[in-house]
Amino acid sequence: MKTTQNSSGDVRLSGIGKTYGSFTAVHPLDLTVPEGSFFALLGASGCGKTTTLRMIAGLEEPSCGTVSLGDHDVTHLPPYKRPVNTVFQSYALFPHLDIFENVAFGLRRRGIKSVKKQVEEMLELVQLGEQARKKPHQLSGGQQQRVAVARALINHPKVLLLDEPLGALDLKLRRQMQLELKRIQTEVGSTFIHVTHDQEEAMTMADTVAVMNAGRVEQLGSPAGLYEDPRTTFVANFLGTSNLIEAEFDSRSGDDIVLKAGDGKLVLPEARCSAPTATGGKVLVGVRPEKITLTHADDAGEIPVGRNRLTGKIAATSFIGVSTQYVIDSSVCPEFEVYVQNIERDARLVPGADVVLHWSPAHTFGLDAAQDIDAGVEEGAAA
Amino acid sequence: MTFVNWLKRHLVVIAGLLTLGYLLLPNVVVTVFSFNQPKGRFNYEWQTFSTDAWTDPCGVADLCGSLALSLQLAAWATLGATVLGTLIAFALVRYRFRARGAVNSLIFLPMAMPEVVMAASLLTLFLNLGTQLGFWTILIAHIMFCLSFVVVAVKARVMSMDPRLEEAARDLYAGPVQTFVRVTLPIAAPGIAAGALLAFALSFDDFIITNFNAGATVTFPMFVWGSAQRGTPVQINAIGTAMFLVAVLVVVAGMVIGNRRKRQKA
Repeated sequence: MKTTQNSSGDVRLSGIGKTYGSFTAVHPLDLTVPEGSFFALLGASGCGKTTTLRMIAGLEEPSCGTVSLGDHDVTHLPPYKRPVNTVFQSYALFPHLDIFENVAFGLRRRGIKSVKKQVEEMLELVQLGEQARKKPHQLSGGQQQRVAVARALINHPKVLLLDEPLGALDLKLRRQMQLELKRIQTEVGSTFIHVTHDQEEAMTMADTVAVMNAGRVEQLGSPAGLYEDPRTTFVANFLGTSNLIEAEFDSRSGDDIVLKAGDGKLVLPEARCSAPTATGGKVLVGVRPEKITLTHADDAGEIPVGRNRLTGKIAATSFIGVSTQYVIDSSVCPEFEVYVQNIERDARLVPGADVVLHWSPAHTFGLDAAQDIDAGVEEGAAA
Repeated sequence: MTFVNWLKRHLVVIAGLLTLGYLLLPNVVVTVFSFNQPKGRFNYEWQTFSTDAWTDPCGVADLCGSLALSLQLAAWATLGATVLGTLIAFALVRYRFRARGAVNSLIFLPMAMPEVVMAASLLTLFLNLGTQLGFWTILIAHIMFCLSFVVVAVKARVMSMDPRLEEAARDLYAGPVQTFVRVTLPIAAPGIAAGALLAFALSFDDFIITNFNAGATVTFPMFVWGSAQRGTPVQINAIGTAMFLVAVLVVVAGMVIGNRRKRQKA
């Protein structure tokens, strides 16, 4: 393939968008996926992530913008001329062909005669050597999934596209396949672009995650970066859980800004605040549930100074083994979530108890208050 | 009491056998009477055993000519109806076009309309166009009424087909032609084959529409009907039995091949 002989293999989307009549599935977006990376497009269903993937595959014609692989503009190439292969959501294995022929399909279409060795090696890689002569419907879901991966990978694509490849598997198998796919990616070194609605899956597997919402990329970054430093309420709520507190800008002290929330004050490093800061300006103060320490109101005096603190009453608790999850009713935030590791459990922390929540200002982030505070909550919970 | 219990236990089998008997009895009679040597012109009473009809199936004037014509018509009608019907079925399932709904329901009209009405209106059409009645008018009529059956059979198959299979083929370096030949066609094949078999059977034994639009041409069903007025040659029974046997052989062969393939795969 001529198109594969380029120096750089980055996937570049420039101003690419897709509209169906008056509905905009994907707003024009720019995205660069570095060669050899494991990239995830994360979002709830209908956010445009699959459409974006299909435009890279060539199965969907973009309404505007261009798709480039390395130095080659492939926007108008049909899918069978692109050095890109896809693992489909439903696997789309050919039911009339056996496993061997399914895997050999791409090689044969490119006129390669002696496929036996390659196919056998590929089937070994996905541990299906024994099943070569079976039909797809005779295999289990996990096995079918591996055939789909083998069928795509045998072509040594520049880019492997994975469209919710683990969606149909049960939880345990999904975990196993996540590691398996990650191992294969490291082994073959191709660029993997993975579409998923499962934020844990995206964070486990990908080097870089792009969070999509309503046809736009909300934020792009490493899993840890996105989790620790969300720039929008959607990302804060969709990736894990965030407690968001409405606060008002009060003053500046060094690199920190001080905010008023209810009667108390909260401190936030200015570098972690994506909201415009002006006196009287509204800011959403965010903190992840596991960063918070819970202290019974009787011991409030033992809390070190310099920590952000809030008071509240425990509304509910649930014990889940490694940790206990508390829902706290506080004046500034009605359902404040706190996860506490079960190291030493304080027997006084039961529903109805008065508590003080406190955390390090360094673990606080600030978001623009001019957005929906609950954006991404439903979607995140559904995923 | 034991008899009642025995009956209870075997009721399904007995009902099945009776139904089978009901279905097959006419064929048995036809077969038996193909070995008859009738007195006079009608082959309705058993006389003596004879293999005359089997050794000389074309002994009756025009019989084999009409049979050949019917087979030829059925072959062409099957080909025409299967090709057109398959294309229509794909168009109806895959594409959104104007009047798709109308086409979707109109295509079933030939199935629902009484044959006599269709035959008469076709004849009116042909006469008004000044068409010479004969082989071509019969063929046009046959393709027309076979079409809806092919469309129904193929449509069911295409509808259950995952469009992602074709996308996967395109993604795996198959161009449009390769995709159709390697993926679409093999998966749709059972539906197309079912449609073709139906078309062949329908065309071969159609009498009413053919009779209206045949002019001076005589097909096998018309020959049988015509001769029944004057006397029934034993050869008709022989040919009927032969057709039945061929059909049974085809079905059995299909099943055997299918079973063997399944066992090899397992």
